[in-house]
Amino acid sequence: MNMTRLTLKGPPPVPLEAEVLSPDVIASLRHDALAALPVFLGKRQRRLDDFFTIEGDGSDHLEIHGDMERVKWIGRGMTRGQITIIGNAGMHLGAFMKGGTIEVHGNAADWVGAEMTGGLIHIHGDAGGQIGAAYRGSLSGMNGGVILIEGSAGTEIGMRMRRGLLAVKGPVRDFAGLQMKGGTLFLLGGAELRTGAWMVRGTIVCLKPLTLLPTFNYACTYKPVFLRLYTRRLKELGFSVPSQLDVGSYRRYSGDAAVPGKGEILVGQP
Amino acid sequence: MGGKVTCTLGEVKNRADLIVYWGGNPAECHPRHFTKYTLTQKGKFVPNGRKDRTMILVDIRETPSAKAADLFLQVRPSKDFEVLTTLRAIIKGQRIHAETVAETGLTLEQLQDFAERLKKARFGVLFFGMGLSMTRGKHMNSAALLALAAELNAFTKFVAMPMRGHGNVTGGDVVMRWTTGYPFGVNLSRGYPRFNPGEFSTVDLLLRGDNDAALILGADPGATMPQPAIDHLARIPTIVLDPKVTHTSRLARVHITTAATGISAPGTVYRMDEIPLPLRPALKSPYPTDEDVVRRIYQAVAKKPAWLPAGKGRRNTEAN
Repeated sequence: MNMTRLTLKGPPPVPLEAEVLSPDVIASLRHDALAALPVFLGKRQRRLDDFFTIEGDGSDHLEIHGDMERVKWIGRGMTRGQITIIGNAGMHLGAFMKGGTIEVHGNAADWVGAEMTGGLIHIHGDAGGQIGAAYRGSLSGMNGGVILIEGSAGTEIGMRMRRGLLAVKGPVRDFAGLQMKGGTLFLLGGAELRTGAWMVRGTIVCLKPLTLLPTFNYACTYKPVFLRLYTRRLKELGFSVPSQLDVGSYRRYSGDAAVPGKGEILVGQP
Repeated sequence: MGGKVTCTLGEVKNRADLIVYWGGNPAECHPRHFTKYTLTQKGKFVPNGRKDRTMILVDIRETPSAKAADLFLQVRPSKDFEVLTTLRAIIKGQRIHAETVAETGLTLEQLQDFAERLKKARFGVLFFGMGLSMTRGKHMNSAALLALAAELNAFTKFVAMPMRGHGNVTGGDVVMRWTTGYPFGVNLSRGYPRFNPGEFSTVDLLLRGDNDAALILGADPGATMPQPAIDHLARIPTIVLDPKVTHTSRLARVHITTAATGISAPGTVYRMDEIPLPLRPALKSPYPTDEDVVRRIYQAVAKKPAWLPAGKGRRNTEAN
């Protein structure tokens, strides 16, 4: 398969906005046109080759090497193809994504997969906050697709998500699933405070004990059959999960009564 | 979620019969608030002043403001969001278990009594301070309180208002709002305003080292921000406009002394309820005003050749 390889020459002095780093933009471009693509260093418009060494013509598979901690909007709105990042990724990775695959062999910053509607994002390291979330003032977060995080994550992950699957293997911080409207959130490494705050619908599955808000009421303890399907799907995507996920029993809490909502939080029993 | 149900302090003075201070200590931080706007003033619909009003204080410790309160509710630190969310459920008649609220430091009976007082008020006000907005949960604590105020309007008239401090911070928010549509955390680098607190707000920019220069007006981040943010300000070219020497001006490359607004310079200041108040100077100053300095900087920048995107004329340069 044809592949376009980019290597970051060095960390930019201020954040670099590079929404052109998407298979939809580069797939049909020759090397010269690729090099001239516009990126924004602060307010200044620059060429892509000012910051990246480019090998090959445009293709559906983009491989980016280097510490992209300050490179924002990679894969914005992409609908197809694959982006592989060998290093860290900056903010808004895969925001508004509709299809295709993004794989990060490193850490990712905030707003990964914000308001995405399709596709797959797999982070092999840690991620920041607001993963799969809605932007400020927006009504819905991710509305489809899959986000897998092998490490930890920050605050407000899955904020206002409506559909899709978000799984985090490590611990996450406060407000996971804030104002969730649907979709499924797996917190395999547990979460800090206020999980599911103001959720209306959707499912949060947590394998570690949780401190829940007083507005969540205990419903029952049971073994949800549907988790077997999720376990199978996660394994198919290369995301290993503990066996407890599909065979264990769960305490089910419903809420958030403050909204009032019909969401559910399943807390795994040891 | 979204929006703030609010009013002016004049309406509070003339109408409010239930006043709640949450995470603030007005007796020490806003000493004229009780006497000018809230507690002791007689108003059109509260003719007996203090006798017609009820004041509730919610805080994590008993501050001097508690002496003025009819009811003091002591919540555990960082449990404000839990209390506010539980109140939202109680006012809607939702079932809450007593043992689940124990961690907040309040009992279910106390919360039910509080909710009942909120619903029975004729005109209620929720004032909130940095004890709410700057503790764990931050903007979500404020959002919870604003949501509670909005939802209480299903039962009675209720408003919310932040207890602002540090001079004209409300003015900064108001002017940003009517010029860009957003109150703070705005980025204009792409030629249009983008709003994303956490990404574009000052403290976050400084902590990540995302900016390569800073112009500080009427603020002293060197005294209030986290140390890594202050270190970054010291590393980059920082210009401070301030009438006096501050922590920030000491670490800045350039400090331009300006006239003190309201004393030796005219201007407009926004009260905490977003009412603009004109200021008349009492004295003359040898120093220029902030406005003069910014205008002259702007004119000097405007004289430089215009920056053009690549491919539309000459190539842009770092010198711009």
